[in-house]
Amino acid sequence: MSERRRSERRLAWMLCAPAVIAMLIVTGYPIGYAVWLSLQDYDLRFPDDREFVGLSNYADVLTSSIWWGDVWNTTIITVASVSIELVLGMAIALIMHRAIFGRGAVRASVLIPYGIVTVVAAFGWRYAFDPASGFVQNLPLISDTAAPLTERGGSLAVIVLTEVWKTTPFMALLLLAGLALVPDELHEAAKVDGAGPVQRFFRITLPLMKPAILVALLFRTLDAFRVFDTVYIQTAGANGTETVSILGYQVLINRVNLGVGSAVSVLIFLAVILIATFFVRGLGASTARQRGEAA
Amino acid sequence: MRREGRSRWWIAAVLVALGIAGCGSDSEGGGGARTLNWYVFNEPGGAYEQAVKTCNESARGRYRINYVRLPTDANQQRELIVRRLAAKDSDIDIIGMDVIWTAEFAEAGWIKPWTGARQRAARAGRLAGPLKTVEYDGRTWAAPFTTNTQLLWFNKDKVPTPPAGITWDELIDRAAKAGTGIEVQGNQYEGLTVWVNALIAGAGGEIVGEQGQDRVGPTAETAARIVHKLATSRAAPPGLATNKEDEARLGFESGRSSYQINYTFIYASAAELPGGFQKKIGWARYPRTVADRPSRPPIGGINLGVGAYSKNPDLAFDAAQCLARPENQLVASEKGGLPPTTEAVYDDPKLQKAFPFADLLRESIEAGAPRPVTPAYSDISLAIQRTFHPPDEIDPDEVVSKLRERIEKAGEGKIF
Amino acid sequence: MLRSSREAALWSIGILVVLLYALIPVLWILSLSLKPADQLGDRRFVPQEFSFENYETIFNTETFTRALVNSVGIAGLATLISILLAAMAAYALARLDFAGKALILSGALAVAMFPPISIVGSLFNIWREVGLYDTWPGLIIPYMTFTLPLAIYTLSAFFREIPWELEQAAQVDGATPFQAFRKVIVPLAAPGVFTSAILVFIFAWNDFIFANTLTSTDEARTVPAALAFFTGGSQFEQPIGAISAASIVVTIPIIVMVLIFQRRIVAGLTAGAVKG
Repeated sequence: MSERRRSERRLAWMLCAPAVIAMLIVTGYPIGYAVWLSLQDYDLRFPDDREFVGLSNYADVLTSSIWWGDVWNTTIITVASVSIELVLGMAIALIMHRAIFGRGAVRASVLIPYGIVTVVAAFGWRYAFDPASGFVQNLPLISDTAAPLTERGGSLAVIVLTEVWKTTPFMALLLLAGLALVPDELHEAAKVDGAGPVQRFFRITLPLMKPAILVALLFRTLDAFRVFDTVYIQTAGANGTETVSILGYQVLINRVNLGVGSAVSVLIFLAVILIATFFVRGLGASTARQRGEAA
Repeated sequence: MRREGRSRWWIAAVLVALGIAGCGSDSEGGGGARTLNWYVFNEPGGAYEQAVKTCNESARGRYRINYVRLPTDANQQRELIVRRLAAKDSDIDIIGMDVIWTAEFAEAGWIKPWTGARQRAARAGRLAGPLKTVEYDGRTWAAPFTTNTQLLWFNKDKVPTPPAGITWDELIDRAAKAGTGIEVQGNQYEGLTVWVNALIAGAGGEIVGEQGQDRVGPTAETAARIVHKLATSRAAPPGLATNKEDEARLGFESGRSSYQINYTFIYASAAELPGGFQKKIGWARYPRTVADRPSRPPIGGINLGVGAYSKNPDLAFDAAQCLARPENQLVASEKGGLPPTTEAVYDDPKLQKAFPFADLLRESIEAGAPRPVTPAYSDISLAIQRTFHPPDEIDPDEVVSKLRERIEKAGEGKIF
Repeated sequence: MLRSSREAALWSIGILVVLLYALIPVLWILSLSLKPADQLGDRRFVPQEFSFENYETIFNTETFTRALVNSVGIAGLATLISILLAAMAAYALARLDFAGKALILSGALAVAMFPPISIVGSLFNIWREVGLYDTWPGLIIPYMTFTLPLAIYTLSAFFREIPWELEQAAQVDGATPFQAFRKVIVPLAAPGVFTSAILVFIFAWNDFIFANTLTSTDEARTVPAALAFFTGGSQFEQPIGAISAASIVVTIPIIVMVLIFQRRIVAGLTAGAVKG
């Protein structure tokens, strides 16, 4: 028995090894190398000046107002898009869950934004709001000369709109899967007790869906925090819309300053870990509580 | 033992195969001619294609130039080239360099200097403005090919008196009074630096010295007041903060604005518009920053540099020299609307026909103010863009201190 | 089931709103791509005249056709490799009993959360030293950072649903282990593998940040990066029509795949997240 278990374990590890090693190499090695680069003064334009400088690149980034401004912009975009997506995604999930007909059509159509290349979506919305060629300013009730992508509020709004449009379907599908786990009997019982649909949604559906909601929020928050494609295409960081990923790109690729740029990269990585830990704690707590209640 | 022998045979066979393939690709394209890659922005008028053809023919099989097209946007062109040069790419033989790249590329060791007879040939008969853009650290780093400058264009139907010798202040007041716009490049990109640099130079100021030392003074505040005044006046077109050259052209063509600050390409592209629009276009010298000094128009254009990692540098110098010849400059101005760097070409009747404003063009280029020549140029430019964008939110009182702080940080390779 | 025609009308409106929401930007780009050059600025949602000139332009432009080949090749190979590696791991995760399962799954999840900007600088510097810059492998390798975890998640979710007892049953009936695997397990696993492959392909097809930083020529540049590098009618002109046409070309295959396999894609997308 134990011999068999041991051989089973060996087989399992052999099967998993290629994938695990591949993942370690493609992420672990570059991030380790980024940490090493971030400790150096290393600008490809001045290759002879390369030297070890310890943590001074981090001090430079963390004391610059640009970095904190970009963290703030990224936070605005993340919080705005994820919270709108949650509400909208829940609405779409409820439509799909309760729909009596047309379910297939809804499911197919929400998958379209999900499948579209982000860069394409970003161009589509940018052109839609362009003062010279866009159709939006041609609509009734909208000023003919409105140019949202020329000022901060408008640019942030268009970026959030693009992100929301593109990723709400994913949110909706995750929430739909969560909805399916809510037993119908509970609803029936509550209905007998005289609870209205709104009450049932807040008292039964939402609490039972909490783990699914947290998972969806975790996925989308981390995704939104990395936002790059949309901002790069729509404003390239102008009008006070620069995000941390855009800053990293600008320092690494435009200024070819690998030292400072790597410090930005590592800080973004740490921020992502921080957010993930925060959510996983919350998730663990909520599932634990639920298990406790069930027991 | 036997196994080892066999594997040796395999290695030998692979090496031979690779060798054959290698020779094959080297001798490709016209019986033994070496291929030289010329990286330059896409010129859709066909001027570069013709220049390549002319030079390939005159090379008589010594080399064959291959024209590799770079994207439209100057920032993207630079990013691509810089990434490849940093990767020590030996494919890059000749580079069509934007005038602002010289110091950065030279300092990083990515291009080879022009010396001796080559240097003399590259400089012969060139206008002073474009020549300044190929010099760094006392040496010549490229051959001036085409140049460019901005003029003040106006719609003759709507502007009765030509705005010759006008200042920015007067121009803005005039346009606002007439209820029309002034198109200019206000997006957060290199075009904004072009504008700000011309304004500062027009007031007699400077931004940085060759070593990147800060020369920011009250002239930056003067420039900021003009940018801010336009952005907050009725003469500001709706998309000023996102305008690049092409948006400005469209705004002028649509009739939204009767004035625009732009390069010469707008004249050629107006030829295709209905209603004889091209005939309505009038031109004047770039507006003055201050009333008592002549304006210092911007200088753009393309210089030809030779990549430091090229496998055939001698041929690359020859080919670059050929491409930069006056007859190719003439073709570039006829087909691509790109003004020449060689002074004598301006007297050619063909050029006078392509550019009815040829004399004003030469005058503008001679008086032009190059952008700062410093290896940290792209950082300095970014610092200027961050300080002057968005145009309607500039605080002219704080511009000098903000710009100083950013330029200082840029010089130290910090985030600014 | 229909309680009243009023309720039916409400549902119809809801469905219509969702449909419009999903389709408007796509139809807008389609409209832009079909407008002749002189009408690009007419700001109408529906073109006055239809023209295919933008499509002709892009298919005659090497930058685009090469990028299309690169996109299909790079995304395809990345999908193939990650599905192969992930299938082995997913089999073990779904079927075998061993300590460390949770570790592998949570590790894959952590890798999936990885911000690409954190490694592009390192990869750029390593690639330029070892000669992988601007090559197909130079993109396929970093794509593993997101394709592998996704493939492991979806595949192990699908594999868990397979009734593996059938394999033993077939062996009892006299089939050799290989026959049992080929005749029984492969047909059962194929749909899940196929769906996972589509999902992984969509992700690889979508990448912009790696393609934009680790390539510089037509050698390896994919369509999303090429879109940002299109050249216009002159040094300063913006190619709106061409970008729109190219956008439609890269969007159509994905829409077709999504529509055909929608049911399975939904299952694949949610299975990993909810059960994991």
